[in-house]
Amino acid sequence: MPSAPPDWLREIDHTGDIGLQVTAATLPQLFERAALAMFRVLTDLETVQTTDTTTIRVDGRDRVALMVRWLSELNYRHTVDDVLYRAFDVRSINEADDSFTLTATVHGEAIDPARHTVYTEIKAITFHGLDIQETDDGWGVQVIFDM
Amino acid sequence: MPDYDLEKLDDYRWQIAKTGGMRVPARLYATEAMLDDILSDDAPQQAANVAHMPGILKASLAMPDIHWGYGFPIGGVAAFDPDAGVISPGGVGYDINCGVRLMSSKLTKDDLDRRDTERLVDALFRRVPTGVGSSGALRVDHATLPRVLKKGAAWAVDEGYGSDADLDVVEEGGQVNGADPDAVSSRAKERGLDQIGTLGSGNHFLEVGYVAEIYDETAAAAMGLHEGHVTAIIHSGSRGFGYQVCDDALSDMDKAMNKYNIELPDRQLACTPIDSPEGQKYIRGMRCAINYAFANRQVMAQNTRLAFEEALDLTPREHGLHTVYEVAHNIAKFETHHIDGREQEVCVHRKGATRALPAGHPLVPDRYQKVGQPVLIPGDMGRYSYVLVGTDTAMSETFGSTCHGAGRKMSRRQARKTAGNRNVTAELANEGIIVRGESRRTVTEEISEAYKDVADVVEAVEGAELSQKVAQLRPLGVIKG
Repeated sequence: MPSAPPDWLREIDHTGDIGLQVTAATLPQLFERAALAMFRVLTDLETVQTTDTTTIRVDGRDRVALMVRWLSELNYRHTVDDVLYRAFDVRSINEADDSFTLTATVHGEAIDPARHTVYTEIKAITFHGLDIQETDDGWGVQVIFDM
Repeated sequence: MPDYDLEKLDDYRWQIAKTGGMRVPARLYATEAMLDDILSDDAPQQAANVAHMPGILKASLAMPDIHWGYGFPIGGVAAFDPDAGVISPGGVGYDINCGVRLMSSKLTKDDLDRRDTERLVDALFRRVPTGVGSSGALRVDHATLPRVLKKGAAWAVDEGYGSDADLDVVEEGGQVNGADPDAVSSRAKERGLDQIGTLGSGNHFLEVGYVAEIYDETAAAAMGLHEGHVTAIIHSGSRGFGYQVCDDALSDMDKAMNKYNIELPDRQLACTPIDSPEGQKYIRGMRCAINYAFANRQVMAQNTRLAFEEALDLTPREHGLHTVYEVAHNIAKFETHHIDGREQEVCVHRKGATRALPAGHPLVPDRYQKVGQPVLIPGDMGRYSYVLVGTDTAMSETFGSTCHGAGRKMSRRQARKTAGNRNVTAELANEGIIVRGESRRTVTEEISEAYKDVADVVEAVEGAELSQKVAQLRPLGVIKG
């Protein structure tokens, strides 16, 4: 069973699905923590090593779309390439008028059924109720997954 | 609890008045007893949000198994004018053409002792891959996949999985026209190559059961459902292929919304005009996913027959496992309905809702012409499921739609907490239900208590005359993800 969530993460229960509320000091950290929180839903991160590194680049028309694309990209790679990630390093977030771009390196390893249990399947990262807010303390986001 | 301006129309109908940007009212179908539960989450607000969408006709409808979704509620039905209306991937859902097939056999419950049932469930578990990212029942190459996407269940039959008799009793005959593999991303195709014939995880299941009770002898006889006879139910959809088609389209439409000046209360409702390039692309891709799901269930149906043969040492003639019907419950289709007294083509979105055509409707298969289209409403794995038929009232009020299942009442985590250290598999075995799950966690999350009683849902659609009860089925064995 997963350990207690860190203080920057709140897991929201929904009848069919799972939602996460994440806070961070900076916008790049918000994206990193959202990814970490997503992989916490999928597996026990203690069992995942960071032997493989991949560069990810996604774009979207605003921050909300960028968050959906970022998490969707990681979930797609997890699903199709059978990998788990546990460390995320957002290198840059470029914000132009109508095209936001995020570049990151992510670290993890191929799924080994002997060592890893994948708890569940995230069908998709939804736009529903997705809100990125800048607060006095930093940044916050709520994301809901379709399970 | 949000404060809705809710008007009671009768014992089974409730209306949220048209306010603000709503173009039509929202209507809920439920008994008074169910109402507190329904109003306790945001699902009614989601039904009201759907009422904002351009070109929506009559009302935004919510079936009694309505529960919180994202964008559209689960249990939502909305129809749009083909000229002034929109198409919305969120109104179909990620698991495009998720649906249910019911099969019935010549065997009776008394023909199977406990060891037979165990052998049967084990054989099903081997032949139908389940669980997170399940794959490997059948792998197609890039040259073959487009044929699956265009031909649906007919492709599977051509490959030797089942027969034309199956296709006669699948919604749309197991194949929709207008599917265009070129409208689908390479990512979706990649995800589709090795998942045909697989169940998946979550609430998907394959259940062996029996006919416990018959309410309508004539309709049951037409369906080949006899008391005590063994049945099989398959609940699955378009797997990763469908999720990717939906995901890609939502991203396209999210970008395009500004261009069409569409403003909505929730971005997950992203939609574009039906005749826009984005809308047409989604429709062509969605139809590929519809056909993928039809092929998926057809392959699983045939593998179910093979499991019966292997485990029970029977010939096809001896077990007689035939398809009763297959319904889709996450889909958008162009159908003919009466709007303001005149027949018109409309684009019906059903997200967690089932088509329910009455007797005599031209799209009902010949053998069910006199009784109406069978509607399959699975319950949770410990209790029962129902077979219903469609009605004229559904046709005139809900675009020929009814409920689709029990609907969860507990979150997955709450279900795990409720189950604690209980051995759910052993508990069900004590009740005579053999469960095989790829993951103990999934089995725990799917305990009966996590779901509403499907009998209440069925009572509400019967009370509202959207469907009529034909039979109740009870489980003997279940495979889960």
